[in-house]
Amino acid sequence: MASSLENLEAQLEMFIENVRQIHIIVSDFQPQSQNVLNQKLQAMVHGLQEVDKLKAQVQDVHVPLEVFDYIDQGRNPQLYTKDCIEKALAKNEQVKGKIDAYRKFKANMLLELSRSFPTELSKYRALRSDE
Amino acid sequence: MMGDQFRKVEQYSPKSSPRGARSPVVSRQDSSGTLKTTILLGKNPSIVPSGPFYLLKEPPGESEITGATNLMAYYGLEHSYSKFSGKKLKEQLSSFLPTLPGVIDAPGQSDNSSLRSVIEKPPVGGKDLLPLTSSQLEGFRLHPGPLPEQYRYTNATPIKKHKNKHKKHKHKEAGGGLPSTEAAIAEAGGDTHEKKHKKQKRHEDDKERKKRKKEKKRKKQKHSPEHSTGAGGLTPSQHSS
Repeated sequence: MASSLENLEAQLEMFIENVRQIHIIVSDFQPQSQNVLNQKLQAMVHGLQEVDKLKAQVQDVHVPLEVFDYIDQGRNPQLYTKDCIEKALAKNEQVKGKIDAYRKFKANMLLELSRSFPTELSKYRALRSDE
Repeated sequence: MMGDQFRKVEQYSPKSSPRGARSPVVSRQDSSGTLKTTILLGKNPSIVPSGPFYLLKEPPGESEITGATNLMAYYGLEHSYSKFSGKKLKEQLSSFLPTLPGVIDAPGQSDNSSLRSVIEKPPVGGKDLLPLTSSQLEGFRLHPGPLPEQYRYTNATPIKKHKNKHKKHKHKEAGGGLPSTEAAIAEAGGDTHEKKHKKQKRHEDDKERKKRKKEKKRKKQKHSPEHSTGAGGLTPSQHSS
């Protein structure tokens, strides 16, 4: 997976570099540059072909749509990753807190119930072998 | 008074039940399927619970992983966490893609280059990408000369800060596989070096100008009567420099 992404990245970088060079050629065009320009245009088609070939290798890559919003706004998409990680950690801590609280509550409740209703609780325990 | 108290108790007691204000006598659909009772009619009607006590409904199935475990460690994302939590990330997109030429920090909607638009209006695809024929290439025969001013301005690459200089150089290396026949492009592509060179040149020009000014001043001072006094007052030109 990593290598296919790296391939795609390298291919896109080469494509962008080619387009940048075309930009330089056409921004102050010289008649002798026509052949080079033609080569660059063919290289551009070739680059698109290569990117098209690589799409099969990255079919299973899922990108959250929100990341596109970050990029469209000219923001660093790593900020999205950072936000996600921070949110996940906060939620993880919150849920762990809840689970711990319920465990304590259960233990206390069983204790109190065994004091108040010892017979019923022993029946309950007998039915619930895991308690 | 007593009656009121009883009424109160009657009123509130069902609510304190875990099943809410519903009476257990009223037949209803039991969603849990654990409350089973047998109602006996006749001389002595009675309700006999025939199933398990409703608190004994089956607990939810145990899942392998819950929120009680450190999910960051479980999925091996500790490295990513420490990577992102420690440093302060730069806000701009260009800091994430430093090798990308052009203005990329501007919102995509402004120049219709947003990724969202690619999803909403996918481009025409499904056709084979074929190399351009010679007749098609004829369409790309350009007139010599620079681009008109308005196009040059919009296409101008942004002046990168010093911080990005190193990265830009790296980018050049990455795309450095230029054939030797493209020396002209390489020359044009090496704009960072050109800029550097220009800067140096400007710096040298400034030095020369300053030298010339100094010499002029020296000559003036030699001819002026104040020269001998050595008052050391700044001339307007000195002051401005």
